[in-house]
Amino acid sequence: MTEILRVEGLQKRFGGIVVSDNVHLSIASGEILGLIGPNGAGKTSLFNLISGVLRPDAGSIFLRGQKIDGAPLYKRARMGIARTWQNMLLFRSMSVLDNLMVGPREYVGESIVRLAFGRAGVRATEAAMQERAMGILARMGLEQTAGSLVVDLPYGQQKLIGLARTLMNDGDLLLLDEPMAGVEGAAYETMQRVVRQESEAGRAVCVVEHNVSFIRDLCSRAVFMAQGKILQDGTVEELISSSVLTELYFGV
Amino acid sequence: MEYLITLAVLIALNVILAASYNLVIGYGGLSTVAHPIFFAIGAYTTGLLSIHVPELPALANVVLGMAAAVVASVLLAGSSLRVSGDYLLIASLGFQLGLLQLIRNLEFTGGPGGLSAIPGTIVGPMRGPLFLLICGGAALACVLIIRAIVKGPYGRAIGAMRDEELAFTALGRNAMSMKIVIFAIGCGMAGGAGGLYAYYFQYISPDQFEVLASAAVLTMVVLGGMGTPFGPVVGAALLLAIPQAITFLHLPQNIMAPMQGIIFTLLVLVFLFLRPAGILGGKGHPR
Repeated sequence: MTEILRVEGLQKRFGGIVVSDNVHLSIASGEILGLIGPNGAGKTSLFNLISGVLRPDAGSIFLRGQKIDGAPLYKRARMGIARTWQNMLLFRSMSVLDNLMVGPREYVGESIVRLAFGRAGVRATEAAMQERAMGILARMGLEQTAGSLVVDLPYGQQKLIGLARTLMNDGDLLLLDEPMAGVEGAAYETMQRVVRQESEAGRAVCVVEHNVSFIRDLCSRAVFMAQGKILQDGTVEELISSSVLTELYFGV
Repeated sequence: MEYLITLAVLIALNVILAASYNLVIGYGGLSTVAHPIFFAIGAYTTGLLSIHVPELPALANVVLGMAAAVVASVLLAGSSLRVSGDYLLIASLGFQLGLLQLIRNLEFTGGPGGLSAIPGTIVGPMRGPLFLLICGGAALACVLIIRAIVKGPYGRAIGAMRDEELAFTALGRNAMSMKIVIFAIGCGMAGGAGGLYAYYFQYISPDQFEVLASAAVLTMVVLGGMGTPFGPVVGAALLLAIPQAITFLHLPQNIMAPMQGIIFTLLVLVFLFLRPAGILGGKGHPR
């Protein structure tokens, strides 16, 4: 297993609140790492630090062994860090297909010069991207929603679209922020299946999730965070059976 | 006839101004009030060049006027957007008022009295129709270019950026450079319109680029339909034609004077309640 992401001594504080306290972490390709812990433990902040939304006070982040500390958010996405959001942040005025079409690492529509002088190439790339988007939707059984506005879909399907949009990135690292919150039934099954398939395809996946059975079903390894610190790193069974953690998190 | 041509030229130039402002504020979602100052930058650059460097062809002067507006807009957006999106609103207002003060107090810009004796370039009886053709063509080109920009892949990106900028950036899109490009295109078009204005009217005054002018362009865009390709065309034509139409009523001066302000205010209020998305914006609220 090759290491995709390595985090070394990550430190971040907002005034008196420490959201990341000397965090060390490593995720390998094909691995699904569960990130669990109580609210305010710093799980989403860790995602924000890795993806580049936040700048750390100290520490370093390596992607495939390459240091990426200086790269801004959009460049890290182009390097292959794809993430979802707790509250999805879908493009609400746009169709499902258009939501996905903005997602590829290289987007032809971003340069006016290219649009003006390379029309044939743009058309070909757009067609290829559309095919890829439809393929991802088909895997989720959502191809018939392609033309609908995302806001018209049920909540569970919107969550899936959030995942589908990041899959357009085709990156090595997938950061999923509470993919299961509010999702049940068929969408739950689909989410689980697609996440597993993505890891089997060789992506490194990190999931923040409160749904313990989801973590137990999918993750080979899990990390427990509280107050910005990683308290334990091990198999899911180890974490759940640890008495300190059960007290802190599960309240039993 | 001469009067009607002048009105038509004025409408064409304001179509450029309103359409380009619509690109910036309606599509790009960038809050700025300073659009008329980029018109002014184009007008003054073209005017001053035509006076002091007579060997340059008129077209080159207009293009240089556009270029000056583009450079100024990139500097303004590049510096203020780094702080935050809202900062552009304040910075643009400061930029507009500051630059107007500068123009008023400099010798070579003609000071508060304005810049006069700009060469007419085209002379003879066909001057009016020719200018109308040029300005009308430029307006049509601007509207079509903007429509091409907001359709297709680039328009999709603009829409996504306006909806959720953070998610948009996290997908690998450089929102900052896109905003600066949109702002520069919009302001460059305004600068070009300014250059044409300088040549046609041969006189420009700092007073016509005050905040009142900003409000007028905003009204044109809102009335016509913000975020629609042809809304600003309707808005600009309407707002320039209505005051002219009233003059035909031959009302006494003391009624006429406040009439324009009353009608504009009334229009904005009526639209706010009955058609918030503008004339071409369809029913309901703007996006």
